[in-house]
Amino acid sequence: MTAATKPRFIRADGPDKVTGSGRYTADLTLTGMLAAKFRYADIAHARITKLDVSAARAIPGVMAVLTADDVPDVRFGPFVQDRTLFARDVVRFEGEVIAAVAATTAAIAQRAVDAIVVEFEPLPLVTDLEIGLTADAPLVHADWASYGAAGALVRDRNDASFSSISKGDVDAGLAEADHVITSRYVADGSHAAPIEPRAVVAQWEGNKVTIWTSTQVPFDARAGVCETLELPANRVRIIVPHLGGGFGGKCGFHYEAHIAALAKAAKRPVRLVFSRREEFLAPDRRREGMVIDVTTGVRNDGTITARKAWIAIDNGAYTADSGFFPQLAAMHVSGPYRIPNLYVEAHLVYTNHQPSGSVRAPTAPQSCWAIESHTDEVAAALAMDPVDFRRLNAVDTGVEGPSGQTYGEIGVQQCIEEATKLVGYGRTLPDDEAIGVAIGWWPSFAVPSGAYIKIDGDGSGQIITGAQECGTGSVMTLRQLAADELGMLPEDFQLVYQDTSVAPYDMGATGSQTIFNNGRAVIAAAGQIAEQLKALAAEHLEASPADIVLADGHAHVAGTPSSSVSITELAGIASGGELLIAHGSGTPPSAPPLLGSSCVGDVGMAAFVAPQFSCHAVRLRLDRDTGVVRILEVGAAHDSGTIINETGALGQIQGGVMMGIGQALTEGTLYDDESRQRNPALLEYKLQTCADSPVINTHFVQIATPNAGPHGAKGLAEAPNVATAAAISNALAKLLGRPVRRLPMTAERVWETMSEVDPS
Amino acid sequence: MNFTIATTLDEALTALAAGARPVAGGSDLVVGARQGKSPLPESVVAIDRIESLTHLDASTDGLGIGALVTHAQLESDATVVGAYTALADASALVGSPSTRNVGTLGGNVMNASPAMDTGAPLLVFGAEVELRSSAGSRRVGVADLWTGPGRTSAQGDELCTAIHLPSRPAGSGSAYVRLEYRRAMEIAVVGAAASITLAADGAVVSLSVALTAVAPTIIAVGGTDTLAGRQVDDALLADVAALASSQAVPISDLRASERYRRHCVGVMARRAVDAAARRARGESIAVPVNRSLGIGAAS
Ligand SMILES: Cc1cc2nc3c(=O)[nH]c(=O)nc-3n(C[C@H](O)[C@H](O)[C@H](O)COP(=O)(O)OP(=O)(O)OC[C@H]3O[C@@H](n4cnc5c(N)ncnc54)[C@H](O)[C@@H]3O)c2cc1C
Repeated sequence: MTAATKPRFIRADGPDKVTGSGRYTADLTLTGMLAAKFRYADIAHARITKLDVSAARAIPGVMAVLTADDVPDVRFGPFVQDRTLFARDVVRFEGEVIAAVAATTAAIAQRAVDAIVVEFEPLPLVTDLEIGLTADAPLVHADWASYGAAGALVRDRNDASFSSISKGDVDAGLAEADHVITSRYVADGSHAAPIEPRAVVAQWEGNKVTIWTSTQVPFDARAGVCETLELPANRVRIIVPHLGGGFGGKCGFHYEAHIAALAKAAKRPVRLVFSRREEFLAPDRRREGMVIDVTTGVRNDGTITARKAWIAIDNGAYTADSGFFPQLAAMHVSGPYRIPNLYVEAHLVYTNHQPSGSVRAPTAPQSCWAIESHTDEVAAALAMDPVDFRRLNAVDTGVEGPSGQTYGEIGVQQCIEEATKLVGYGRTLPDDEAIGVAIGWWPSFAVPSGAYIKIDGDGSGQIITGAQECGTGSVMTLRQLAADELGMLPEDFQLVYQDTSVAPYDMGATGSQTIFNNGRAVIAAAGQIAEQLKALAAEHLEASPADIVLADGHAHVAGTPSSSVSITELAGIASGGELLIAHGSGTPPSAPPLLGSSCVGDVGMAAFVAPQFSCHAVRLRLDRDTGVVRILEVGAAHDSGTIINETGALGQIQGGVMMGIGQALTEGTLYDDESRQRNPALLEYKLQTCADSPVINTHFVQIATPNAGPHGAKGLAEAPNVATAAAISNALAKLLGRPVRRLPMTAERVWETMSEVDPS
Repeated sequence: MNFTIATTLDEALTALAAGARPVAGGSDLVVGARQGKSPLPESVVAIDRIESLTHLDASTDGLGIGALVTHAQLESDATVVGAYTALADASALVGSPSTRNVGTLGGNVMNASPAMDTGAPLLVFGAEVELRSSAGSRRVGVADLWTGPGRTSAQGDELCTAIHLPSRPAGSGSAYVRLEYRRAMEIAVVGAAASITLAADGAVVSLSVALTAVAPTIIAVGGTDTLAGRQVDDALLADVAALASSQAVPISDLRASERYRRHCVGVMARRAVDAAARRARGESIAVPVNRSLGIGAAS
């Protein structure tokens, strides 16, 4: 089909979601099902001196009460094994689970939770990143040295993961510079805030458990259950009903094991449904706060001679998937620039805050905000146009990047041209308006993945995939990839997905990896079916299999369209003989080499596989009397390789930009003196609304990326979230004459910056 | 819990006399209970089906607004938009379209939040609420109604049946603006309403200004009577801002610091007076001022 006749992409799960016939986890009801509630620490750092659940157990209708004593004594964590299902001896953040209750109603469960007696002896709080790294700071984990951890991690006391990138001679590079500019930027933590608060339902049959859960990563969730409850993978089945968004907040293993353990103890199915408040306070998934110090040396001609940076990242109380954050942050603070001499170090600091975890492009929006704001400060010191400065210093095809990776075909320079064109950069504006520009980057993640395809006797197909749909439409797009391979239509396929006992492994809706890896798997499986169909058609049409073309629902002999047979007919033939069943996985692209740099704490993030680039240009208006900012227009140009599903791709850009605007202006976690969140509610944690959305125009720079995913596609879900806040900062700085050095750049902070008073 | 549905005023008053609390749109009462602010009352009577409370009655005395009139009605009613524009400005900012479809003026007034949006407009218009119980009815000026955050001088058995606005002299205009960080589902950080009457030469005949979210209740700005006879120019607007900022007694909370609120309420007061004066002069500024004059609030 030509582009003009190709029907607009229609999501397979769209009608279910829009009409309400689709089922989410919290909608499920099983016979005899109990309600679960957790008892949380509600104190940020303390030793448990007494824990007595006997009164809770005695309440009629309470079927199970569990604490650390009732589950296997297992420490877990993907990078550092620093946590347990239930608190043991010490609690380290307010949302830590101490006990879990299952009862016949939610009200009884809550009464039982309230009847649990817990006494604490408070321990000193660690809340400040710099103080946390000092030698005499109180330890968040007194036993840190004894914990198991991934071999590559460099750890020391409250520093849960240290990483550095070093290239050339940074001091010599700074000495060579005509200007040396130093900046500090501080970002508050923020939240993924998916519309669906999480839910988990668990039911045992014999020694096997089925768990329905709102996770983005069903196989990770299964691994967590297996590890903590000491079960083999084939006795744990994770099913994800429709997922009401995630944005990274539902990556990782969370409460599946708690609920499975409750269901086992109660001998009844159990359901947990989080309130919005719990969704804010408890999961180990919020966007990390950061402190970024950066110094850059430049020559008068505008070239960068060296960059030195120090980064502290708020890990929170436990290490979720944040072990790789330091190296990733180091890359983002380096930025996609030509930097001959570089030294960046990054620390992941334990605090008594909620644990951090991958929220859409972890570390990137904050780092990009800091480094791109700094870049405009550098350009200003040179009296150089900041876009020209980027044209001169940004990486390009065949150029060596900051970590020593030399890029194949990339489109960052084109992104700069296109995004600035989209908003008319350089035109005259009213004096309360300005345009800011920022560039960003993000890796693609090459990992194993699998899918099956079968075509039944009536010619209808099924794709059975381990991939997880978190709302982006990526899994929905798999139908199109299979259909294109087989000359069929996307609607000819049903998707069977989000069930670990049915489909092969996939990493899940994380790392923008679904099309990149599962797309490869689906195409490989479809290729096997294509071979089978061609062999059948060749026999039927008395031709060679090599001459058979699959198109428009038929197999025909190349050059002789009249000699053809429908795929439906071939499927009928196959159903009486060798069945049309295929599996695919394919080989993930390999990591590119790094030359001339050295990395401490290397977790493989200093080389970007099929890197994605972006440039966002934002026009905004500032209310100078109040500091309120209104975003008027965003031009977003993205090199994410080949765009396979334009509707879905545009949705990702628009959503990413809106999330970026929220992070820039209104979203940020506030803490009280006892390290409790002050705004765990949607009225006080202000997401952007539809009414706030600006005009968003997008341009895709589609170039032939070597080492990319299917049809030259790279990832796309996280990249749009990287550069928006940075571009907003640069527009604001033009109007204010200096940057706002705190994220979010709330109206009050903008006003404080205008009034030249340090924000509190 | 005891829940009854009243379809006539008498049924509602009987239920109130027996200790029930009224629920109109429920967008404060029910939402607040769900958020854990305060549990639902033991006994609740739904008043939303009492037809007689749903009307707007314009007369030579002014405008009577039934307690059940919704924000959606207020933001589009020709009389409100024409003569009591500040009230339309306020109702048009409430929550989202669905909040405005269920939320009522009676609920907003009786909920008595210091951040309520219709409060400052009602105060500058000199509104009175009609309170009725089985024993009879009385009228109370809004300034005497609100006694603290969430507190009114109404008795437990009194239902608010209507809000009365006095008629408007010729040459009048009004406006309400609020400081907001986003353009929907927002709550006033601070706000200000102004009602102004100008003489043919543009001189101020009367001016009243009231402030939102800077005190335990909506407050009127004192001293605006001293501005009578002056032109609405930068000097007058600066004086209004100074009066508002100096009389505000804001708190610091999650939404803003005391200092920032004090500054911004002056800005809002200035903008409200400016927009009200422009309307008094016949200029058309569409409802709500927040949207038609730019970012967040009027520029
Ligand atoms: C998402 C959302 C956004 C909101 N945004 C705003 C906003 O921007 N600005 C704003 O001001 N408010 C806002 N509100 C609050 C609320 O919508 C308004 O205050 C609304 O006008 C309340 O009206 P109601 O009919 O829903 O009140 P209800 O919840 O029914 O009642 C509120 C209180 O008044 C009492 N009451 C109701 N009617 C009467 C009566 N006739 N006589 C005596 N007592 C009565 C009730 O007992 C209760 O105590 C918002 C609410 C939500 C949920």
